[in-house]
Amino acid sequence: MKRFFDSELETFRSHLMIMGETAIRQVRDALKALVDADVALADRVIAADDELDNLEMSIDDEAIRYMNLRAPVATELRLVIVGMKASHDLERVGDECTTIAKRAVRLAGEPPLKPYVDIPRMANIAIEMLREAMDCFMHGDTDKALAVVRRDSEVDAINKQLYRELSSFMIEDPKTTTRALELMFISKSIERIADHACNIAEEMVFLAKAQDIRHRDELKKS
Amino acid sequence: MSTPANPFASKPSRSRSFEKVILGVFRTATYIILICGAAVFGDILLKGVPTVANAFKTTSTFPYVTNTFLFEAPESLYVFEHEGKTMEMGDKDYRAFREAEIAKAAAAGLPPPVFKSSSYVYSAGGIWPCIVGTVLLVVGSMTIALFLGVCSAIFLNEYAKDGPIVRFIRLAILNLAGVPSIVFGLFGFGLFVIYLDWNVSLLAGWFTLAFMVLPVVITASEESLKAVPKGFREGSLALGATKWQTIRKNVLPYALPGILTSSILGIARVAGETAPIMFTAAYVVRDKLPWDVEKASDFFFQGVMALPYHIYVVSSKIPQNEYTSRVQYGTAFVFLGIVALIATASIIFRNKLRSRYQW
Amino acid sequence: METSSASSTPASRAFQVPSRATDGQKAQTLIEIENFDFYYGAKQALFDINLKLDDKRVTAFIGPSGCGKSTLLRCLNRMNDLIDGTSIKRGGIKIRGVDVNARDVDSIELRKRVGMVFQKSNPFPKSIYENVIYGLRIQGETNKAKLDAVVEKSLRGAALWDEVKDRLHESGLGLSGGQQQRLCIARTIAVSPEIILMDEPCSALDPIATAKVEELIHELKKEFTIIIVTHSMQQAARCSDKTAFFYMGKLIEYADTRTIFMNPGNPQTEAYVSGRFG
Repeated sequence: MKRFFDSELETFRSHLMIMGETAIRQVRDALKALVDADVALADRVIAADDELDNLEMSIDDEAIRYMNLRAPVATELRLVIVGMKASHDLERVGDECTTIAKRAVRLAGEPPLKPYVDIPRMANIAIEMLREAMDCFMHGDTDKALAVVRRDSEVDAINKQLYRELSSFMIEDPKTTTRALELMFISKSIERIADHACNIAEEMVFLAKAQDIRHRDELKKS
Repeated sequence: MSTPANPFASKPSRSRSFEKVILGVFRTATYIILICGAAVFGDILLKGVPTVANAFKTTSTFPYVTNTFLFEAPESLYVFEHEGKTMEMGDKDYRAFREAEIAKAAAAGLPPPVFKSSSYVYSAGGIWPCIVGTVLLVVGSMTIALFLGVCSAIFLNEYAKDGPIVRFIRLAILNLAGVPSIVFGLFGFGLFVIYLDWNVSLLAGWFTLAFMVLPVVITASEESLKAVPKGFREGSLALGATKWQTIRKNVLPYALPGILTSSILGIARVAGETAPIMFTAAYVVRDKLPWDVEKASDFFFQGVMALPYHIYVVSSKIPQNEYTSRVQYGTAFVFLGIVALIATASIIFRNKLRSRYQW
Repeated sequence: METSSASSTPASRAFQVPSRATDGQKAQTLIEIENFDFYYGAKQALFDINLKLDDKRVTAFIGPSGCGKSTLLRCLNRMNDLIDGTSIKRGGIKIRGVDVNARDVDSIELRKRVGMVFQKSNPFPKSIYENVIYGLRIQGETNKAKLDAVVEKSLRGAALWDEVKDRLHESGLGLSGGQQQRLCIARTIAVSPEIILMDEPCSALDPIATAKVEELIHELKKEFTIIIVTHSMQQAARCSDKTAFFYMGKLIEYADTRTIFMNPGNPQTEAYVSGRFG
C-alpha cells in the first residue's frame, strides 16, 4: 500500500544518490587537477565542496524529520540511519578532495617529482570502490559491497608502496621533501577516500541485510 | 515413578451439597409454574375446543361452512323433552321448531304439543359481537395509547432537559402503572361517561383503556429510544439536520420494533381487562353489530360487547350448570386465541422491521 | 578519465525540490479562538484558550484523556449545545471572523459548513447510498442525477468508491470498520463543508484501516480544513501540519508539528509526547 509520505523517502534516496555522484565527480576532478596541474579545476573542486556540505545537511534534516514524524521501522529505519552515516562519509570524501585540490594547486607551480602513475591508479580504484558502493545502495547487491571492502587492501598496499618510494626520494634529495610530502598526503587522502568507500559498502550491507560486518573480518570474506 | 496426586480431584464440602439443594429448589419452582400453566391452558383447551369444533355448520351460500359459535350472536338455550328425547335448541330454532310442531299437530288434528322447556341465558348461539367489540376496543385504544405514548416518550427522552420536573413526570407515569384497573374504570366512568356525556361508548372505552396502558407504552418507548445509539443522533445532527428530522429519519424507525414489542404486552392487557370497560364501554348484550349504525358519528358513541366482559357475565351472572359452562370455556378459548393472533401478528411485523434496521 | 563540470550536475538543482509540500506557502487563519472559557455546569472544562487554526491544513489536538481537546472540537460546530448545562462564560470562536455563538448564527447552518467525524464510526442502518446522501436528503434535495453524482464524488473523495461501487444499495453496516469510518467521512464531505472535525477517527481501527484514513486526511486537506483529535502521537506526527497540546483544560503548547515532536517548548509537552505521562 502506498502512503502519502513515501515520496519523502524517495526524495531522501535521490538526495543520497546525488551526493554519491557528486563525491565521485569531486574525486575525479581533484585527480585530474593534480595530474594536469589544472589550477582552475582545482579551484572549482574546492568551491564545489559546498554542494556536498549542503547535501549532507539536507539529508540529515530529512532523516531527522522522518524519524521524528514517521516513526520508521525495519528497512525504513535502516535506510534513514544508513543514509545519515553514508552522507557523513561522502562529506568526508569531499573534504579529502578539497585537501587534494589544495595540494594540487601548490604542486602545479613545481616540476613533477615523477610521472603520475601510482596515484591515478590508486585514485581510480577508490573511485571504483565508491561507485560500486553506491551501486549497492541502488541495487542492494551485498556481494558487490563485500568485494568493495576487500579491495581496500589494494589501496592500502599502493599507499604503503608510495610511502616507501617517496621516503627514499626525500632521503636521496632533500630538495624534493616538500613535493614528496605533498604527494604523501595526497596518497593518504586517497587512502582515506577508499576507507570511506569501505564504510559506505559496510553500511549498505547493513541496509540490505541488517547485519553489522564492521571489524569482523570473517564476515567480510563470505 | 508414581503419578502425582490429582490436585483437581473433587473434595466434599458444605457449599457443594448446598449447591445441589439450591439447584433442586430452583428446578422445582420452575416445574410448578410449568404444571400450573399447563393445567390452566389444558383445561381451557380441553373444554373450549369442543364448543368451537361442534359449532361448524354447512350453509347454502359462500363460503358454505360457518361456525355458529364464532359468527353468531348469543341466544338463550332451550332444553326440552320431545317425543322422549332431550332436545337442545337456541332461541330462534326453538321458536321455529315449536311453531312447526304446533302447525304439524294442528294439521294432523291433534292437540298442540306441550313443550316443557327450561331456558339458559346466553348459552346458545355464539360470541361474534364480543369478538368484534374486543377487536374494536383493542385497535382503538392501542392507536390512542401509541400515539400519545410515543409523543410523550419522544418529548421526555429527546427534548426535555433532565430536571426535577421531568423526573416528577416519570415518577407519575410509573405510579400510574400501579393503579388498579378498576380505578381506571371509575375514572373513565366519571370523566368520559358522566362528565363528557359520552355515555357507555366505544370512545369512552378507548380512552379509558388507553390511559391504562399508557405507562407501559411510554416506559417501553423511552427504553427503545434510549437503545438507539447516540451516534445516530450525533451523526445526523452533525450533518445539519434539525432535531425533528433526526428523530423522524434516524431515531424513530430504529426504535419502532422496541415500541411495538411493548405494545404487544399492551394489547394483551387491553384485550383482557374487564374492570375498565364494564362501566365505560361494555354491554351485557347487544343485538346490533357496531357497524349497524344510523349515522357515522354514532359509531363512536355506542357500547359494544366484549369477550372478557362476556366471560364475566356468563361466569358470574347466570346460574352455573353443564349448559352454561360450555359457553364459558368456549369464550375463554376464543379469547386466548384472539390475543395470541394479535400478538403473533405484531411479533411478525416487529421482526420484519427489526431485520430492516439492524445495527 | 573524464571530468564533468560542476554546474551541470543535478546536485545544484536538488535544493529546488521542496521536501515538504505544504511548508512552502503561508497558511491563512480560518478559525480564531479567543480567551475561551467553557463550562459543564459548574465545572470549568476549558481555561482561556487562544488558538488560531490555519485554512486548508491539518491541525491535531493531542493530550491525555479529559484534557478538553474533544470539548474544544465540539465547540467548533456547537455540538456541545446538545448537552445540558454547558455554557461559554468568556471569549468566543470565530470562523472567518464570524462568532459561531452569535445570536444570528444558526447551529444547523453552522454544522452544514463544519462537518464532524466521530470516534466510533456511526453509519446509519441504511444503504451506503442513503448514508452518503443523508445530509442532502435532509436539505430536501430530490434530483436523482444530482444525488448520484454526489454519491460518486463523495465516495471517491473518501477513497471508498472502488470498494463499494457495486453494492451501493447494501447496508452501510456490512462494511468493515475502516470502510465504515470512510463512509462516515464520505457522508460528511457530501454536504461540502469547509471544515471537517475528526474526533479520534482511528481509535477503533486496525493499523491498515488507520493508514488508509490517514492517507485520506492527507488528500482531503487540499480541499478542506481538518482538525483532528487523536490519542496517537504517531498519528498527530504523521498527519498534521500543526499540533496543539492540551492538559487539564488548558492549551499548553501550539506549534508546527515538527517542533512539537522535535523540540517542544514546554516540559509538559515533552513529557507527554515522549510517553512519560498521559
